[in-house]
Amino acid sequence: MRSLSLLSRKWGSISTARLNSTLTEAQATPDPHKAALAHPDYFSVHNLFTVKDLFDARVHYGHRDGSLDERMLPYVYGSRLGHIIFDLDKTAEYLRRALNVAAHVAYRDGIILFFLRGAQNSHLVEKTAQECGEFAHTRFWRGGIFTNATKQFGAVTRLPDLCIFFNSQNNVLLQHTAVKDAAKMGIATVGVVDSNCNPNLLTYPVPGNDDSPAAVELYCRLFKAAILRGKERRKADFNE
Amino acid sequence: MALLRSLNKLVRLNPKIVNLKCVRTLSSDASGEKPPDSKLGGYAQAFEKFETLKTEESKELPQTFASLLRNSKFVDLGDPEGKVVTGKIFHVVDDDLYIDFGWKFHCVCPRPKKNAGEYVRGTRVRLLIKQLELSSKFLGYEKDVTLLEADCVLLGLVQDRSKNIQ
Repeated sequence: MRSLSLLSRKWGSISTARLNSTLTEAQATPDPHKAALAHPDYFSVHNLFTVKDLFDARVHYGHRDGSLDERMLPYVYGSRLGHIIFDLDKTAEYLRRALNVAAHVAYRDGIILFFLRGAQNSHLVEKTAQECGEFAHTRFWRGGIFTNATKQFGAVTRLPDLCIFFNSQNNVLLQHTAVKDAAKMGIATVGVVDSNCNPNLLTYPVPGNDDSPAAVELYCRLFKAAILRGKERRKADFNE
Repeated sequence: MALLRSLNKLVRLNPKIVNLKCVRTLSSDASGEKPPDSKLGGYAQAFEKFETLKTEESKELPQTFASLLRNSKFVDLGDPEGKVVTGKIFHVVDDDLYIDFGWKFHCVCPRPKKNAGEYVRGTRVRLLIKQLELSSKFLGYEKDVTLLEADCVLLGLVQDRSKNIQ
C-alpha cells in the first residue's frame, strides 16, 4: 500500500475526488479547493506560535552590522551595539504566511523538500521530514538535480512543489544553489533568511535567526505541525 | 448577591483583568444551582473570590516585541565585552567544550586543568565574554567573514549555592 502511494506521488496522479467533480457535476458542485484557497487561514496555522515563542527561541538575533545585506534592512528592527535585531512582529507575519503556504501544499498532496546545510542541525531536519512524511536534502547539492533531473535520475522525475530552506546558505556562506534552481524551475520556495542572506529569490522569505539550534528546532516543529494539519484536513475533506 | 458585589469590586479595581465570560457563568451558576437567598458566609465568600482571581491571573497579557526586547537579558548585558555569564555545556569533543549561554552562537573553550573531570555534558559554567561573534572584515572584502562562534574565557564551574546542606 505504501509503495503504491509513493508511486502515485512520483507520477503525480490526479485525485479521484477532483476527477469526479470535473466530469460529472461540473457546474453544480463548486471546486472544493477554491473554498480552501479563499480562506485567509484554512488550517488555523496562525495560532501555532506567538511572538513570545519566537523571542524565547532566539529568532530575533542577527549577525553583526558588518555582514548585513542591504536587502534585509526592511526586516531589521535595529542594531544593538553592533548586533542586528530582527523585528519579530514582521517575522511573525512572514512566518504565518509561509506556514499557510506549506499547509496548503500539503493539503493538495504536494511534495515538500527541506534544505539545511550545516552539520549541527542536519539530523533534526531529516528526522522532521520523516515524521511529517516529506523529504529532506541536507547533503552536498549536485549542480543539475532540478535543472537536469531527467538525465541525472535516468527517468522522468516529479520535482518538489515547495522547497523549505531552514538555512538559505551553504557551508561557505554562499547562497544555496537550490534557491536559484528552484526559481528557474518555477518551484515555490520558503526560506529562513538571516541578516547576511539575500531574500530576493525566495518566494516566501522568513527573516530570522538560522544559526541557533533553538531557532531551527522551533521552525522544524512549526512546519511539521502545519504540514500535518494540511494532510489531516485533506483526509477529512476528501475521504468522508 | 454578596458574590456579585465582591465581583463588582474586582471589576472596578481591575477592569482589564476580569473576564466577562467568567462573570456571566458565575452569575448563571449563582442563579441556577445555589438556593436564591443563601447569604454566603465570610469564608465561602473569600473562597469564591480567590477562585476567580486564580483563573483571571493565569491569562497573561500578550507582550509586544518592543517590551520583550527592552526587558530581555541581552539588553541588560549592555556592552558584552568583559561581562560574566553562565552557560551550559552541550557537547564535548576530547578537550574542547561546546558551551551555550543563551546567545545566537555557542562558544568553544578548552578544558581547564583544575577539576577537569567535572566538565561533562550538562555542567553549568561561568564565562567571561570577549566577543559575541567572531567576525571581522578581511582586507579586500566588502562584508565581514564570520566564524559562527562566540569568543569566551572559561572561568570555572558555577558554585552550588543551595541552602540545603545534605
